[in-house]
Amino acid sequence: MLKGMKMQKKLLFLFLYLIVVCSLGCDNTYYDEHLEMEVKQLDSDLNNRWSTSGVVVSSITANGPAEKADLATGELISYVIGEYPIHSSGDFSSAVKKAMADDNNMLLYLKDKQPLRIATRKSGDKVGIEVEGSGTVRIKNIIHGTPASNSDNILIGDVVEKIVDERKIQGLDDYKKTINEFAKANATLTFRTTELIGVKIAAVTALGNLGDARAVDALIDILKNNRELALRKAAARSLDRLVALSRLNSLFQQYQQENVNQLPADTLDRSQLESAEILGLLLVDPTANTATLEAPFGIQFQHRSEALNQKVNEGQLVDLAEQYIQKDIEPDQEIRRACLSILGVLRPTSAIDSLAKVLRDQDEIPGIRFQAGLGLSRIGEPAANALIDVFNEADATAKDIAASALGNIGGTVTRDFLINALDTTDDPAIQLTLVDAIAKIGDESSLSALDRQRQRFQEDDSAIRIFLDEVFSSITAPLE
Amino acid sequence: MKRYITGIFLIVGIAFLIVGCGNQNEHLAKGKELIKSDKRRKEERAVREFKLAIEQEKNNAEAHYLLGFYDSQDYYETNLPEWNQASIAQRGQHMFKAYQQKPGEYLEILIFDTLRDDDVDVQNTALEALTLVYQKGERKQLLNQLEKAIKSNDNRDRHDAQWVMANIGRTDPKTMVPILVELLEHKQMGTRLNAVKALGEIGSEDAIPVLAALIDSGSAKREKDREVAEVRQLAVAALGKIGGKAVPELVKITENKGSSLRVDAIRALSSLGDEKAVQPLLDALKEKSSREIVVELGN
Repeated sequence: MLKGMKMQKKLLFLFLYLIVVCSLGCDNTYYDEHLEMEVKQLDSDLNNRWSTSGVVVSSITANGPAEKADLATGELISYVIGEYPIHSSGDFSSAVKKAMADDNNMLLYLKDKQPLRIATRKSGDKVGIEVEGSGTVRIKNIIHGTPASNSDNILIGDVVEKIVDERKIQGLDDYKKTINEFAKANATLTFRTTELIGVKIAAVTALGNLGDARAVDALIDILKNNRELALRKAAARSLDRLVALSRLNSLFQQYQQENVNQLPADTLDRSQLESAEILGLLLVDPTANTATLEAPFGIQFQHRSEALNQKVNEGQLVDLAEQYIQKDIEPDQEIRRACLSILGVLRPTSAIDSLAKVLRDQDEIPGIRFQAGLGLSRIGEPAANALIDVFNEADATAKDIAASALGNIGGTVTRDFLINALDTTDDPAIQLTLVDAIAKIGDESSLSALDRQRQRFQEDDSAIRIFLDEVFSSITAPLE
Repeated sequence: MKRYITGIFLIVGIAFLIVGCGNQNEHLAKGKELIKSDKRRKEERAVREFKLAIEQEKNNAEAHYLLGFYDSQDYYETNLPEWNQASIAQRGQHMFKAYQQKPGEYLEILIFDTLRDDDVDVQNTALEALTLVYQKGERKQLLNQLEKAIKSNDNRDRHDAQWVMANIGRTDPKTMVPILVELLEHKQMGTRLNAVKALGEIGSEDAIPVLAALIDSGSAKREKDREVAEVRQLAVAALGKIGGKAVPELVKITENKGSSLRVDAIRALSSLGDEKAVQPLLDALKEKSSREIVVELGN
């Protein structure tokens, strides 16, 4: 009987507890009297999806502490950090007690030293520091076998300046409790906010897809000034895509002028059609000989294409890409690659020097150096001299790439240089590339030069002779 | 007593079986036997038997159903008459004929059995037949059965029903959209999920307000007023499929800083390619970065 009564009491308590918890949990906003602002619970699932926690500032009262501190509505507060100044041993012990509560973790600031994070294994464990003094508080003793004794940076006689307590905010209740505690302890408060980086990355990616001219400046700004690498990478990718879209302008102009969504495929530029199809803007049907704008995107984009093309041609993008292909300016290789790709599409002669610099850089990733060479070969004849200089001065990798790029460019000066280079080069790998490059030019002088080389290497059983034989057999029987 | 009743059932059952076998078309029996066997190219040979069975007995429901089920264009050379007869449309006609003979029985088979088949062609055949039922048969019964299936405890039934409802809804949204909207109130999450999916597939702008309200419920004060994350997420994707007038709703979600679905909304906007999305996305980029702010308390 007695036991039953106890059970009932317990149940009653449990019930009351549930009501309290529920009434706390059901309200999704809280007006913070200390900061004079309202904060809001996040969507319950935001937490799980972006491992984000905290509260969102929903409104700020005019002239209150929040407004004076320049907090903005929409900001997500993820941490509240309290600082306890230490002026006496009493300050010290109460600060340690408060800071270690909940998370067994605090930051200790000693004069002239880096802040030290001190953590105990479980609550109630001693930090292991005893202090003395008032006004200036010094360490008197360090207890053996405590976290403090494990750190070489804590010494007897060090001056304790302050203790900092970082609290991660899980939700509204957490926020309420933390602010009230800090306010009571008169701690100095710092809010650490979290940018919802996932949202911005999605926005940046979407702007790249939408192909709107207005996005260009915003994306350049992010690439230049944002601190978040993931966001900068997304911006570089989007800019690369916008540039690729802008090159299709003349194609979309044809649809615009005719005011139709379908044109005969054979009246349009083939390489443009290919890239437009890869970008998902139109669908080519080779049997019906039609190129149809894809709904909704291709149809929408044709109205934006002219403005985008103009914006891309204004020149800021070229300036930006020329800078950000350099390793000492941009440490991230993905961004450097995107910028190289932009230059490869826009082909500005102004980029020749910076591309050549990348090509020469022995510490650069070979794939990126290759991309720089490709960029130079796309620029064509104006880049030939720079490539010849690279071939004469740089390391074997650069020579190899430069020779191949020169073969793509062609022209008599280039040809004569390559033929001459083949006579003077000993490196078999580079000889191979040179033969390939000369064969690519493929005019009469090139072929007679190669034939001469065939005589030179006749005795050898080397790769180059086999390669030369292959070159000639493919030239004499090109249709097989 | 119990045993006695079971006994009676057994006897009656056996009697039916014997009578049934006696009546059964021999080609049909042979075809069915083939299917059960492990003979080479058994389906192809069974199909021949089912065709003969129909020649012998024009209105044999089972023969029509099985022909619709097993016939395949793989068995014939392209453009032969038999090849044309094995199209999904023709096979659907056969299944529909089975339904016409025994509507109640075959409606249930089509929805709860045929749609479940692993073979995509069989699924499409069932869809074809059910579309014919919708056009020419007992529409009300069909809708009742589909509702039963989308409310089922079995996920596969719900999914199949959703697929059929979406397909019918594309040609007749006026009937289907209100039914699906009503299902959004159903207690079972899987049912609501599939109703949302179907509304997206149908693409009718009539569904926009109710989907928007459902998405909005994520920040409702009381938990019971909140739709779960999965359903809300799908609702955003559905708005993305509807497009057109759904764009402003997606923009609204993008602008709501407490929403967990901003990324989903942005992705939907990105694939719609609408110009109205650009400015809100640029605004999203202007939001403050992560930072530390020192606050002086007033008192």
